[in-house]
Amino acid sequence: MSHGLDDVEAADPTVLATGPVGSAERVVDAINHIVVIVSSIALVIASFVLTYSVVVRYFLKISTDWQDETSVFLIIGAVFMSAAAVQARRGHVGIEAITVLLSRRANRVRLFLVDLISLMFCTYFAWKSWVLLHEAWVDNHHSGSTWAPPLWIPYSLMTVGMVLLSVQILLQLAVALERRKSVP
Amino acid sequence: MTVLSIGLLYGAVTLLVMFAGVPIAFALGAVATLFMIMFMPGGSVDTITQNVYEEMASITLLSIPLFILKGAAIGRSPAGQDLYGALHAWMQRIPGGLGIANVFACALFAAMAGSSPATCSAIGSAGIPEMRKRGYSGGFASGIIAAGGTLGILLPPSITMILYAVAAEQSLGRLFLAAIGPALLLVALFAGYAMWRFRREFRDAQLLYAKAGTHSELLRPDTLTVRDKFALLPRVLPFVVLLTGVMIALYGGYATPSETAGLGAVLALALIALIYGVWTPRDLKPILLATLRESTMLMFIIGMSLLYSYVMSYLHISQSAAAWIVSLQLSRWVLLVAILFLVVILGFFLPPVSIILMTAPIILPPLKAAGFDLVWFGVIMTIVMEMGLIHPPVGLNIFVIKNIAPDIPLADVMWGTLPFVVLMTLSIVILCFFPGIATWLADAVMGR
Repeated sequence: MSHGLDDVEAADPTVLATGPVGSAERVVDAINHIVVIVSSIALVIASFVLTYSVVVRYFLKISTDWQDETSVFLIIGAVFMSAAAVQARRGHVGIEAITVLLSRRANRVRLFLVDLISLMFCTYFAWKSWVLLHEAWVDNHHSGSTWAPPLWIPYSLMTVGMVLLSVQILLQLAVALERRKSVP
Repeated sequence: MTVLSIGLLYGAVTLLVMFAGVPIAFALGAVATLFMIMFMPGGSVDTITQNVYEEMASITLLSIPLFILKGAAIGRSPAGQDLYGALHAWMQRIPGGLGIANVFACALFAAMAGSSPATCSAIGSAGIPEMRKRGYSGGFASGIIAAGGTLGILLPPSITMILYAVAAEQSLGRLFLAAIGPALLLVALFAGYAMWRFRREFRDAQLLYAKAGTHSELLRPDTLTVRDKFALLPRVLPFVVLLTGVMIALYGGYATPSETAGLGAVLALALIALIYGVWTPRDLKPILLATLRESTMLMFIIGMSLLYSYVMSYLHISQSAAAWIVSLQLSRWVLLVAILFLVVILGFFLPPVSIILMTAPIILPPLKAAGFDLVWFGVIMTIVMEMGLIHPPVGLNIFVIKNIAPDIPLADVMWGTLPFVVLMTLSIVILCFFPGIATWLADAVMGR
């Protein structure tokens, strides 16, 4: 299993490409940077919300209804929204046993195909998330709890997160193609 | 197509995509989606995102990132070194006390941080150089830390246990309690081995000194005073209070497991701010980034593993596989050994989270039918997965050790961990004969 930062998987991800691909990379990098900060804050807020829940229920004897669901939305949002940033550092782990058996060139082709499969899946998932979000918005879906918050909130975070992830993988494919052109 | 051929195809495509190197989360999601499109009724695939959302939107599962946050906060502070230093001071008079202190420090740290690599890295970065300075061999020192670190996935709040609770539909509180006895058993076995091995290395050093006059550091007595010992306590006590406070909140009925996760994270952040002055955004950034990276990676694998299991169940693959295993009418112990063997093999390639979520629907029904207590089995399965963390080829902890002590040859690290793999196997045998070691505490606290 690899933790995704070895040289066959990615040329140094901090070195950005040039031209239009490079510009797109810089934009996505900047978005990822902001998303990671907001997601980190969301995780900390979720911790405080759950702590607050314990305090008000046991010390102030106030019943709790919104805390669990708010934490779920915050954490789900943080997870989906930061998926692209994790992918940018090749942080989604995979089995890399085969890399040692293949040549460098074969590994480049393999990685390209791996990214292509990942892109197809993530794009499909992003599209289906959008359909789900649209339905939830149009039909005004709410969660089944007593608090009943609207479901477009978590669905929109899931959709945006998956779109960002798909764009990130698409960029990685574009960079791989650019590099192929520049390698004699 | 028959269920058998669909099942075989499902397994084969999964292996192909995973071994090609597609990230585990995307591989599981892609295969599940493909089989939904091919073999399930037309509209099923439209609910794929709703399935993943509903499976993931469980507050129990989503407590995992908060436990990771608590672990990262403690793991990236100097708490590990302080804990280790204090235990070392108090155990120096016992033969092999330094090694035993490392085992205890790993166990306590694992219980606070809930992560095996974090424990290895936090205790090992202080413990391994100290043990080597005091004459312990590189293999012995790294074996102690690698094995001690594995307690992170057994002791509460273990992420592995949270997932097992979800997959096996067992009480999380009961599972956490059931892990404590076996974890203490492992600590005792590791400490006993450390003492025995120390005596052997000590004897060899004495012989060498008598023969050739070579003075080993092993022969030098410790010189810490009682004052030194007490001076080290104040830095450790708050973390021990955190550990017990969180446990009391959970078992005293004050908080649910997810609230415990939130409370633990807040308390850990407060403690590192108060004791080590870690509170500025710059200090907190690495902690939060590491948490986010690990949580996102893990939660994606969990979400997609659950989708994968849903498809496997909808297509009756898991039920048929489970029924086939039952129809073999194996004796219960043969069944247990065969299943544990499967877990070991899967552990060569997959992280514990995927193993649990992918295999639970297949292996748990036969085990239940054979009369095994599923809480007890959760503990046994976790110990087997702990072994996967210290044996090749994956052995995550081996590579963590390699990072913190790069000058110890990999072969020495592997030989050093081997006796601990044997001890873990021995603990499983003991738990088979005396299941009460796991179940007693859970029964006593939560009733049968």
